[in-house]
Amino acid sequence: MISDKAQETRKARRRHRRAAGRAGGGTLFALVLHALRSQLRSVIVWGLALGLLSVVTVASFPALEEQAPAINELLESYPPEMRELFGAGEGTDLTTIEGFLASQVFNFMAPLALAFFPILAASNAIAGAEERGTIDVLLGNPIPRWQLVWSSFVATALSLLGILGILGLATWGPAVALDVELSSAKTAEAVLNLWPLCAFFGGLAMLCSALFHRRLLAVAIPGAVLVASYFVNALGNTVEELEDARPFTAFYYYGSAIEDGIEWARFGGVTLAALLLVLLATLAFSRRDIYT
Amino acid sequence: MGAVVRAEGLTKRYGRNRGIRDVDLEVDEGEVFGFLGPNGAGKTTTIRTLLDYLRPTSGRAEVFGMDSRKESVRIRERVGNLPGEFALEDRMSGEGLLRFFARLRGVGDLRYAHELAERLGADLGRPMRRLSRGNKQKIGLIQALFHRPPLLILDEPTGGLDPLVQEEFLKIVGETRAEGRTVFLSSHNLAEVEKICDRVGIIREGRLVSVETTGTLVNKAFRRVRMSFAGPVDPGPFRALPGVKDLQADRESLSFTLHDNLDEVIKLAARYELVNLEYERPSLEEIFLAYYDGEERRS
Repeated sequence: MISDKAQETRKARRRHRRAAGRAGGGTLFALVLHALRSQLRSVIVWGLALGLLSVVTVASFPALEEQAPAINELLESYPPEMRELFGAGEGTDLTTIEGFLASQVFNFMAPLALAFFPILAASNAIAGAEERGTIDVLLGNPIPRWQLVWSSFVATALSLLGILGILGLATWGPAVALDVELSSAKTAEAVLNLWPLCAFFGGLAMLCSALFHRRLLAVAIPGAVLVASYFVNALGNTVEELEDARPFTAFYYYGSAIEDGIEWARFGGVTLAALLLVLLATLAFSRRDIYT
Repeated sequence: MGAVVRAEGLTKRYGRNRGIRDVDLEVDEGEVFGFLGPNGAGKTTTIRTLLDYLRPTSGRAEVFGMDSRKESVRIRERVGNLPGEFALEDRMSGEGLLRFFARLRGVGDLRYAHELAERLGADLGRPMRRLSRGNKQKIGLIQALFHRPPLLILDEPTGGLDPLVQEEFLKIVGETRAEGRTVFLSSHNLAEVEKICDRVGIIREGRLVSVETTGTLVNKAFRRVRMSFAGPVDPGPFRALPGVKDLQADRESLSFTLHDNLDEVIKLAARYELVNLEYERPSLEEIFLAYYDGEERRS
């Protein structure tokens, strides 16, 4: 019995030596897979909720199409600040499905709502795991701290693509079914354009999660920055005092991809900013104590 | 046998008073080392610093000769850890958790995990949110043990377990030692420490105040003595003897704690007709309390 156990111990030692030789790519992959699995339910819920908004918007377009010129006129009578705030700034044409979707979904509700998905996911990864007490057991495994940060970010970024896929299908599908002229390429660009913006706020939440030990702060700070950025960018179009501040908001680089296509330089710039925030989060988390 | 865990002047300060101060500690390969102290004494802080959850304010620690700070990932490859206060993902089952951790550790065979689950009576099929504290503790123990690590670090391992499962756990610790592996466990369940530990370290207000073999600690401690005599006995001479404390007397019997000087006590008792003598070794718990009491009086 003892000799069997001694043999098992020898096997375990060999396994530990093998594990020591592994570069850690396997653990990163396992962490990403685990995070993806735990986010699956949220992906479906978020995708369906935003998709429903898109379905309703596309479905209501044929009925509104005939009255669109009158709606455009009505919109013109609103103060420009209010139009900007509700995603229907100057140049938005509600007589086209692209303009209608921009004002109802892609320039207002979708970015403001969907950015909370990565904020919640990233705040959960470190500060949330500390608050719940799950981080101790997880980090009892041979995982470098940077992998915890990056696996969570990568999984959240992939989950975002999943939500965007559902949103894209929920936008384009009804358009095809109802014979509304909307190109699949425009739809794809519109949903894909949400990705760097949301990833940016996810990166900011990851940084806050790495800096502070409290999930509330890791949600509240990026949430406040998100709302403030939206207001500053939207009002900066018409309020002279805010104009200079617009380039400091992520929304400034967002544009309206469903109408104008993706501006790839801006897409890349915001993505790089998101990665930089995650890098800062990695550095912060590597240097601090972990409390539960 | 070399030291598996070595701490030199390990200090971690949170505020003015909390944390650990100048902890020097060695845990040898193949031993079961018990780390004793009441809540807030610094047991968990020491463990968390060894595993790089906390960064030391000063001093250093090595595990398997590797720096606890710089080589923590390599250390954790060889350590099974049960944290003191822990939670498990609510939606995961024990089986799911073990499969996930097995992937992280490159373990392909979960037979030992299943054997442990059977021995401890753990339910691996239910989600964690439906498990009692004791059942979660069992899953926590299995995840620390299933990969047969050369070093087990267990913070209050039997909290929430029923007595039968505690006994089974102590057997598993015994088997671990028999395989030449090392166990470092913190506890304030002194009965279990007395049963299983080769050596104990006592930590008080962040300072490691004593490291002894369990036997030495027990043997050098006081004894509880009760004597019954055939006739009336004068307690005065007994009370006057050095080493006799807390003496209580009625007409024909005496009870006291004896810290030293057994020979003179026996010689004095022999002047009377002794009908019964009880000579009890205290539990480690009583020794521990006496130790703390003495330290407090000195400080």
